[in-house]
Amino acid sequence: MSRPFPYTYISCPCADTPVPDPARKRRSRESPQKSPQKPPPERAETDQDKKLSAKEEQQEEDEDEEQTFDPRSPRSNFSLYPPEQLLYCEECHQIKCPRCITEEIVSWYCPSCLFETPSSMVRSDGNRCGRNCFNCPVCTAPLAVSTIENATGNGPQQGPWVLSCGYCLWTTLDIGIKFDKPTNIRSQLQKMTDSTPPAAHDRSRQASRTFGDLKHPLSSFASADDQSNAREHDGEQAAPKEDPAAPPMGTDARFAALKNFYRTQIAETSNSPNDHLSSEFGFSSPGALNRLMSLYTSSSRLSGLYGGNKKPKSKPPVMREALTASEGLQVALETNETGMIARLQSPECGWDGMASIDQRATQSPDARFVDDLLPLPVLLRTKRAKRCKSCKHILVKPESKPQSTRFRIRLIALSYIPLPTLRPLAPSSSSALPAMAPTSDLNSLPPLRPIHVLLTLKNHMFDPVRITLATPPVTPGHVATKVTVLSPQFEIGANSDVWDEALQGASAPLTSDSRSAALRGVPEAGKVWDKGRNWTTVVLEVVPGTLPGSSAEGGDGNPNTETNDEDVLAVAASKQDEDVLEIPVFVHMDWDADAQLDQQNVGKGSKPDDKVTRELAYWMVLGVGRIQASL
Amino acid sequence: MSSDTPSMGASKRASATSGLRNSQTAQPVSPHTPQARSGNPSFASSTSPSSSFRSEDDAIIFEIGARWLRAGFEGSSAPVCVVGFGPEDSRRVGDYRGWIQGSTGAGRLPQPVDMEEWTQAYELWRPDSREVDLGLVEDKIERAFRETYNQFLLTDAGTSRLVLVLPSLMPHPLLSSLLSTLFSRWRFPSVTLLSSATMSATAAGLRSALVVDIGWAETTVTAIYEYREMTTKRTTRLASDGNQDTETVDKISVGFAYCEEVVSRFAWCKSQAEDTCSDEPDRELSIPSPANPEEEYMDVPFSRLAEPAEKVLFAPGVEEHELDDEEKSLPLLVYNTLLSLYPDARGTCMSRIVFVGGGSRIPGLRQRVLKEVSLLIDRYGWSPIRGKALERQRQRLEELRLSARKASSPPETPKSNAEAPSTDDEPADPSKEVPEIDFVEQKLRRQNKDIPVPIQGVLREVESLGPWAGASLTTSLKIRGMVEIEREKFLQHGLAGATRDIDHPVPDRRSGLRSGGDRSSWTLAGWA
Repeated sequence: MSRPFPYTYISCPCADTPVPDPARKRRSRESPQKSPQKPPPERAETDQDKKLSAKEEQQEEDEDEEQTFDPRSPRSNFSLYPPEQLLYCEECHQIKCPRCITEEIVSWYCPSCLFETPSSMVRSDGNRCGRNCFNCPVCTAPLAVSTIENATGNGPQQGPWVLSCGYCLWTTLDIGIKFDKPTNIRSQLQKMTDSTPPAAHDRSRQASRTFGDLKHPLSSFASADDQSNAREHDGEQAAPKEDPAAPPMGTDARFAALKNFYRTQIAETSNSPNDHLSSEFGFSSPGALNRLMSLYTSSSRLSGLYGGNKKPKSKPPVMREALTASEGLQVALETNETGMIARLQSPECGWDGMASIDQRATQSPDARFVDDLLPLPVLLRTKRAKRCKSCKHILVKPESKPQSTRFRIRLIALSYIPLPTLRPLAPSSSSALPAMAPTSDLNSLPPLRPIHVLLTLKNHMFDPVRITLATPPVTPGHVATKVTVLSPQFEIGANSDVWDEALQGASAPLTSDSRSAALRGVPEAGKVWDKGRNWTTVVLEVVPGTLPGSSAEGGDGNPNTETNDEDVLAVAASKQDEDVLEIPVFVHMDWDADAQLDQQNVGKGSKPDDKVTRELAYWMVLGVGRIQASL
Repeated sequence: MSSDTPSMGASKRASATSGLRNSQTAQPVSPHTPQARSGNPSFASSTSPSSSFRSEDDAIIFEIGARWLRAGFEGSSAPVCVVGFGPEDSRRVGDYRGWIQGSTGAGRLPQPVDMEEWTQAYELWRPDSREVDLGLVEDKIERAFRETYNQFLLTDAGTSRLVLVLPSLMPHPLLSSLLSTLFSRWRFPSVTLLSSATMSATAAGLRSALVVDIGWAETTVTAIYEYREMTTKRTTRLASDGNQDTETVDKISVGFAYCEEVVSRFAWCKSQAEDTCSDEPDRELSIPSPANPEEEYMDVPFSRLAEPAEKVLFAPGVEEHELDDEEKSLPLLVYNTLLSLYPDARGTCMSRIVFVGGGSRIPGLRQRVLKEVSLLIDRYGWSPIRGKALERQRQRLEELRLSARKASSPPETPKSNAEAPSTDDEPADPSKEVPEIDFVEQKLRRQNKDIPVPIQGVLREVESLGPWAGASLTTSLKIRGMVEIEREKFLQHGLAGATRDIDHPVPDRRSGLRSGGDRSSWTLAGWA
């Protein structure tokens, strides 16, 4: 895939346990015995439940038969991780991926200025940096604060300041924004965009007004100068009670108006003490307490205080809808859209005048043209502590200072599971196997020609580990590649001191060296290829399959051999990554660990000297290369 | 609860201020406890800056559609982020191909592909849940939520209430897997479901509306009367459809991203069907060419860019009876929905048409729909019966009436009997009648003179802030939704634990949303 070949991925075991659907479980449980109060059954003890739904049965079967992991299924993309990104929980003795951990935020900081933001400020700043850090709305590069009179230069820099992008040369002058001070840009920008609240979504316009390039404030779409009159007129018609001069509101202002309106409406409608109907219906917001309160207030002095001039109403006031613009109602006007179409059509707009989808995604929903884009304050980032989802054990705890990259706790999986590395076996000089292909280019493996790949597993634990590898004989998917692990069972030495190796090597140099020397050149079944202090290399023999529709397919007995090469290419390309040779490998490892840390944990076979056998099993995916379309 | 103490103080002050506000509006009310904690996020955060308070206080609102996810905090006017479900988002971790090669789908595809396949990678789900790999949807949702929390929301996931804005027609398997993913992955105390159509109406400040959601896979027209959904009609006319100039028959050869880019930038819609573009010479527009890389831009007449929208959403030149029930053109759909309403609701809804959804961003589209709907109304009135048979029958009745004047013979068939009132009177269309003045109504009107009469019976479009903003409004006002699913209950029984009885909780007659009262059983309400 994207990583350069060869690569390895590890599938987190959490992918095997599907999301429990309580409804499914309940259904299956109800049918045989009517006991919905029973705690959720373990997957293992479900043999009594005969009438499982078909899906669950299938899942069960999957589990029983240890279904081969298919690296091609779209779901596997979500469970495969590069080995270095995985964590390991020491309590559960299990690999943990981002899906089976929970995260807690330790601190917030701006990735641009590395200032930590206190948690109370994060929300009010809208999760963005409150200082001078901005990203370019066009190309997302960081913006720099610079002065307009850059050329005059060397004195104390004065005068209006702008934000400018060093990459695409966009500046805030393009949307007509200048700043008085080079500091606190965010609040200045805020002030500019919010200074006229009725048209907050029209922020670029507002800003341009401050700049002096006076466009009509009513033009919510930038080219709408000439429409403003018509617009005003229409607005008057549609909402007669409205002040005719009231401009259309922006998103924020409208939202605030609506909220205000609803709040008063709720307050008015749910507070009628003489309203006996109200007790029958669950009234909206304040609920029972509110009714109680109003019972008291109706008779007590408070009513004289607040509702003295209140006429008793016999009818509950009905919550009404917003009627005026000040209440948040906005009637759509035709001129908006005709104006927009006119602007679309205008020659100065063009393709580049329109904001792209990516650009618009981060902007206010009304932004449509490039002129509507505003500089983006940099999104804050967080440092997060990570816990195991099942046992709440802390797996990662970073230092809270943004500048520090150190961790207090970090249990990465690679210190527990062997690090897999893969490399092709170079063709030996004494070419004993004539069929062996030159494996120079992993990006174009010739089909049906066996190659040998060396898989090295490096142990980082201080205990020797026994490994069992298993692969499906033929890889899943359309391209049937035959895979054989020449020595599936082997042992990796402990990650002892480096000096040990040297010392041992002095005493017994013959064992490993002679063997590997003998083996080098001819990979032999049942023997490891090479072995070091804490690593072992085994050989995988891979016979790449042919791509569907490939001309080389005749040997496999597939009928469609008449297809031409163009078809092959097309098929290979249309099914993306069909030609990538990935081998799922099931790794089972067990080792004897010191039991003193967790005696209560029941190891399977406790060794006499306080040793506990632990085991771990997971799927691993080896990306070997790309298969050529034809021979 | 420790957080109650500051809230009491807050509530007192807020009650005083709201009392003031009410007196200003000259509608005195008795003092009241305001909505819990006054709902003002800035105020709340200033009184208690601790993060725990914050995360308890603000519900997080997710609006999930087939293609986009919007997320943010309650009480804000716009979502914090909008996240799409593209092929880049379903890559493996550590697979940076999207950045290395430039985004996929930008150029020309090597081979024309099928429409379904073309869009599949960009969708979270499709309406037909038979074709959906639920496990994959769960994976996608999990990743999208996790990344949204980590990148944009920047709060701990699962600590606060979650509000989901969903289309009201949602397949149960999807809903179930969505909820079980959320509940089992994080510790959300409860999930509230809000219907996106109702929320759009709320965000427009309306209580009744006709919400036209021009969405990804389908356009839904939902009539809402006093916050209750009356009818929903759907059409499967896609909002985003094939590019106009490189589209071969049923096969699409340009990348999806490119096509979407073009559509979102330049798709527009003529305001009149008969407008034959004669008003001005066609302007050429140059767009980046997907076809041949040596030529960077190609020129497309601007008017051609209006064609896809026209073809897809309006189906010009196709007779109504040729279209299947689920592929009616947009104006027809709006008209039919209005037609199926009761006259009262119809009058209210037709002057409160709200357009939401991605397709409503196409400039000119809304006006076009409204115009065509009014054309339909002019042509047919509000009678569902039309066609040649009707004409014949009308003629027959004319003759019949002439004869009936002399010899008062009753109409023969009950069908024509039903027809009689509409055809008998001279104004054949009851909607064009001058409404006779009802004394009850007059009295009512006299009683509440100060209450302005709501606009009725005129086609009018009202702009909405969108379903997300509506949900944000509703939640920040501490109105609880009809569907509030609590964690324990869901984990125990799943969706099957919901009460089947939709009417079980009596909805508030005024707000239409239930107050937090009896929580012992929960319901799926409209989703059941």
